[in-house]
Amino acid sequence: MLDRRSLARAYFTHERLVKHQIDSFNRFLNEGLQRVIDEQKIIELDIPDTYVKLGKIYVGNQAIAKGPLVKEADGTKKPLTPAVARLRNLTYAAPIYLQTIVVDEGKELEEEFVEIGMLPIMLKSKACNLHPDNIDDTIMRARTDLDLSLNDLSSMSYEDKLVLLGEDPIDPGGYFIINGSERALMTLEDLAPNKILLEREEKYGEKLEIAKVFSQRAGYRALVVVERGKDNILEVTFPQLPKPIQFVTLMRALGVETDQEIVEMVSNNPEIMKFMLENIEVAEVETTQEAMEYIGRRVAPGQSREYRLNRAAQVLDQYFLPHLGTEPEARRAKAFFLARMAEAIFELALGLRMEDDKDHYANKRLKLAGDLMEEIFRVAFLRLIKDVKYQLERAKVRGRPMKMSTAVRSDVLTDRIMHPMATGNWVGGRTGVSQLIDRHNYISVLSHLRRVISPLSRSQPHFEARDLHPTQWGRICPSETPEGPNCGLVKNFAEYAEVSVGSDEEEIKNVLFSLGVEPIRGG
Amino acid sequence: MIPKRISAIKFEVLSPQEIRRMSVGKIITPETYDDDGFPIEAGLMDPRLGVIDPGLRCKTCGGKAGECPGHFGHIELVAPVIHVGYAKLIAKILNAICRECGRILLKDEKRDKFIEEIEKRKKLGQDYEDVVKEVFRITKAVKKCPHCGEEQIEIKFEKPTFYYEGEHRLTPRDVRERLEKIPNEDVLAFGMDYKAVRPEWMVITVLPVPPVTVRPSIILESGQRSEDDLTHKLVDIIRINQRFMENKEAGAPQLILEDLWELLQYHVTTYLDNEVSGIPPARHRSGRPLKTLAQRLKGKEGRFRGSLSGKRVNFSARTVISPDPNLSINEVGVPQVIAEELTVPLFVTEKNIEIAREFVLRTEHPKANYVIRDDGKRIRVLDANREEIADMLEPGWIVERQLMDGDIVLFNRQPSLHRMSIMAHYVRVLPYKTFRLNPAVCPPYNADFDGDEMNLHVPQSLEAQAEAKVLMAVQEHILSPRFGGPIIGGIHDHISGLYLLTRGIKKFTKEEVMSILKPLSIEELPEPKEDGYWTGKQIFSCILPDITIEFKAEICQGCEECKKEKCEYDAYVIIRNGELISGTIDEKAVGAFKGIIIDEITRKYGNEEAKKFIDDMTQLAIRAIMNAGFSFGIDDEDIPEEAINQIREVIANAEREVERLIEAYKEGNLEPMPGRSLEETLEMRIMRELGKARDQAGKIAGRFLGMDNSAVIMAVSGARGSMLNLTQMAACIGQQSVRGERIKRGYTYTNRTLSHFKPGDLGAKARGFVKSSYKEGLSPIEYFFHAMGGREGLVDTAVRTSQSGYLQRRLINALQDLKVEYDGTVREQTSGMLVQFRYGEDGIDAMKSFRGKAVDVKRIVAEVLNKE
Repeated sequence: MLDRRSLARAYFTHERLVKHQIDSFNRFLNEGLQRVIDEQKIIELDIPDTYVKLGKIYVGNQAIAKGPLVKEADGTKKPLTPAVARLRNLTYAAPIYLQTIVVDEGKELEEEFVEIGMLPIMLKSKACNLHPDNIDDTIMRARTDLDLSLNDLSSMSYEDKLVLLGEDPIDPGGYFIINGSERALMTLEDLAPNKILLEREEKYGEKLEIAKVFSQRAGYRALVVVERGKDNILEVTFPQLPKPIQFVTLMRALGVETDQEIVEMVSNNPEIMKFMLENIEVAEVETTQEAMEYIGRRVAPGQSREYRLNRAAQVLDQYFLPHLGTEPEARRAKAFFLARMAEAIFELALGLRMEDDKDHYANKRLKLAGDLMEEIFRVAFLRLIKDVKYQLERAKVRGRPMKMSTAVRSDVLTDRIMHPMATGNWVGGRTGVSQLIDRHNYISVLSHLRRVISPLSRSQPHFEARDLHPTQWGRICPSETPEGPNCGLVKNFAEYAEVSVGSDEEEIKNVLFSLGVEPIRGG
Repeated sequence: MIPKRISAIKFEVLSPQEIRRMSVGKIITPETYDDDGFPIEAGLMDPRLGVIDPGLRCKTCGGKAGECPGHFGHIELVAPVIHVGYAKLIAKILNAICRECGRILLKDEKRDKFIEEIEKRKKLGQDYEDVVKEVFRITKAVKKCPHCGEEQIEIKFEKPTFYYEGEHRLTPRDVRERLEKIPNEDVLAFGMDYKAVRPEWMVITVLPVPPVTVRPSIILESGQRSEDDLTHKLVDIIRINQRFMENKEAGAPQLILEDLWELLQYHVTTYLDNEVSGIPPARHRSGRPLKTLAQRLKGKEGRFRGSLSGKRVNFSARTVISPDPNLSINEVGVPQVIAEELTVPLFVTEKNIEIAREFVLRTEHPKANYVIRDDGKRIRVLDANREEIADMLEPGWIVERQLMDGDIVLFNRQPSLHRMSIMAHYVRVLPYKTFRLNPAVCPPYNADFDGDEMNLHVPQSLEAQAEAKVLMAVQEHILSPRFGGPIIGGIHDHISGLYLLTRGIKKFTKEEVMSILKPLSIEELPEPKEDGYWTGKQIFSCILPDITIEFKAEICQGCEECKKEKCEYDAYVIIRNGELISGTIDEKAVGAFKGIIIDEITRKYGNEEAKKFIDDMTQLAIRAIMNAGFSFGIDDEDIPEEAINQIREVIANAEREVERLIEAYKEGNLEPMPGRSLEETLEMRIMRELGKARDQAGKIAGRFLGMDNSAVIMAVSGARGSMLNLTQMAACIGQQSVRGERIKRGYTYTNRTLSHFKPGDLGAKARGFVKSSYKEGLSPIEYFFHAMGGREGLVDTAVRTSQSGYLQRRLINALQDLKVEYDGTVREQTSGMLVQFRYGEDGIDAMKSFRGKAVDVKRIVAEVLNKE
């Protein structure tokens, strides 16, 4: 018979327990950083034909260290190991370089690789000096006193190499070192974005059905709500709209004009079609043009007609279901999505569907270290762009050369990243996101790195959210939760839980298309 | 000196004249200190405003730091600004008066009627707020001034301090001008006293500058001065005020002036309240929001809740508690180190001067720590000055001697929910570092020894000590005013000990009897029985005073017909003339909350005797349980194979029954119960079926465990645990529930609780029935459901504690001024308002009642019969 102990031993490696942290951070390094840059593409200046093209982003200065380094007071740079960072109260961070080309009044200047700031690096991640791929290099550069050759190292175990760098060989990594203190990023549990959630609500003694979607795109969250009011009239609310508008109006604005098209897009269930006809009957507008004018009057009252129409289009593209795209081409997809929400509401009203359970783990998403880093990096980078823009414009006005290396003030980005990480005060007012690692004992470290925090307020009872939900089986530990006000809101991963890191949307689309799914044709 | 008494307090709004009158100087420069570190004249730290640095003297009153209370200054604002606190009221008033003539928008007769109504209600001490509300409601709707005929335009108030008349914005100056025009008689209609509050005073023209003592600067380690938040804010105000003035004098454009005015308004607003919605809070350089006036008053740490309702005291101590059964219930063990720190004042007189001198001269524990001379000077007693002080000692001085055995102290455990949470104990100075208390006083404090800490206070005056001894001593609280029964009594081992001692007829040799009675002061042993042995009942009788009582014990099975003294369970207690004739002593007899014997002794012989009984009883019980030997381990839950099979059978039957019910439900053969839906009926019947199965399993387990099992003894005697706990350990844990229902949440999209089951499974297993026992261990699925049920309990406790605290606070705030007068009425303290004609409407003192009843007829009958 198979010795199960060896199987268990193989499974319970230290790396596995914090794998979710490291995987997520690696994904941030691989894709997240570049994604934030690509969202911007260029830095636009208030000078015609003058902008900065943004290219690839790199972490680490290969000439000095593969990962984090330290800038000494005399200006020299040396590779940094976590042990040294802890002892000297330094931040374990690596420089990030951005490929830029300044276009000065239509003329491309020389390409530059500028250091835009320092990025804290997660221990044992890809960019860490301790990563198995980097550790030999680190030892060669950081422990010159030992006079080792690469050959000597090749015969050594990874654990022994860690010891050479003053590291605990069984330390799991998966955390950061900020000003010498070890800080872990908590995994945040959130309601799944971009998913239709059905709810029943009681308003003024009347029961009504609503469908909610937290539509998320690049850090922006837009709440879209469709509500079945009295007389089965559907109303839609989304940001920038002062008051709910009729579902049919919005469908027409999105380019679905005819009655038949609207009804068919929602459903071909005869009962639902009946409801839809009621909606169409009371419609305020007949055509897309009228609908746009109607929305324009709502979002920009008292403005010129031209401005109103522009604003209506802008609101529709930017603030309505932004996860489907922010270009006018996405409107048809949005119409389909909206129709699906309407269908769901009527199905709920007819009892063909049930209310969604908000605590069902299928309706939850976890924000891991990488996602959180992406959030602060995005904010910090936007801030940097603003600053660079200002610096470049000033340079232009004063007739100085438009050089990125002088325009980038290194602290702008770094401070905006370091401050949240040092205090735990994340963008959006969330606190306690980064926490000082609990080093009471080895187990408490592992537990801390596997903690999941729900952002629900602890002062309200929230009985249902605190319950142990059957869908947490195998994902969240049924036993480990604090007693007291945080009970059931602070959770821990189950022993065997692994967290997938997400996959590329395009890839999935291609798979679906190859399986015969038909794409929505742009309207 | 004639003592001054406050007869009334009246709140008014400070008028500009009043502010100037009480001011010692105009503050004009934002600078605080000059280069040499001296405060600048007419600056915010002006020495006339008071002193905070030791050694300096106040320029106004000449007092030193600590003596001088501080004095107000003032700032003349260049332009008036709205006071945020009154912004809403101003808006209401603006809408109630004419924009032209400033009169109230009511005809004079109507106005007078309202004023009359307000006056009437004031006289009756009633609320007149709704009258004022009505005035504002009516006047707001008036379109045309009844006095001058001017058309009215509604004024829109925009938070925090802006007023719009249509599109046009009113400046604070406009607002003030309008308010000034209101005649005094009209002001009355707004429920305001024009002598106390003129409406225009709500627009600030002169800002009082609080004394430096209110906003002391602190000196950092680096020697740098760090100013108070209020000072920072005042600096901002003065700076803007100066700039405004300069710009105005220089004839700057209107736009700039308006900006500065708005800025001044912002600074004054945030100075008053930095948490106003609608404007960003003023921040410190570090980004921390400033704590300005409103923030000082508000909330838990604020002046009212933090500083006035709650105070810190001296002569107190706090440490971990631990049990000591050798102490009397009215004693507390105080660690030596604490006793050496806490002191009791000894007021030196001619009669006790020698004793006092002795304390001063002592070098060990009960010695004097301080001596207070008759001029109030406090001198620390040290080795160096000990003899000198002893010589100087004379009547009128106070010697603060260390706490020692026999001193009275107050002992408290939070939350102090009832009066038994603070009781007076006598000190016993003991080694080690914890407070020690007799476990019998745990129930009133609701204390246990898992790390609980308690507080101790030493009353300092003779009056306080006397009051503590007479009113607050532990024995005074044996009977609880909560339910009219004893709240202090035996717990845990006391109960199982006496149970073991008194159950049935147990025989003890003389050695055993002596060893059990050793700690008690029993002078004579009772006569042994014929066989030369003593029974447990005889031993227990040794500590009983002369009482006669009969009752059913906790172990009573509740037979249909009580066989009284012939009870086969020995559950009928008969005590005659202080002799336990039959029955077992258990929780019902001596337990806290229940103890009938304690109740009886207290009523018959008083608190002192009851205290002695509890002391003796606890000592005896512990000796008895040690004599018998008592332990509890996991193998105490072992039940034979036979029992396990029986239990399995019972549970299997129940599961089959559940299946049958589900089958019936699915086929539509289930009869719904009255007022229930089909689903509810099914759920209820399943729950009942499974509950029954668990009870049966428990019965089987109980039968096989027998009455000699430690756990069973504890459960039946009421010492600890219940038969349900035993059932769960030995037989079957039973149905897990969340909010009173079987587990039903889960994979709702496929209609099942867990993916281990088939969709739509309603069976016992799939809905959280745990058939294992704790001892057997749970299957993973059972474990998970159990964790679900357990989580609910955890959340409940967490939520409840916070809620009950809040409820308690509200109740106390509402009732704090009520008092039971000597005539038995309940009155409000200050006004003498009558709340109840008789306390509790029945005039019963709950503490002296018989478990809530005023008269216990049965008891009286029994008493009378007994005498005959």
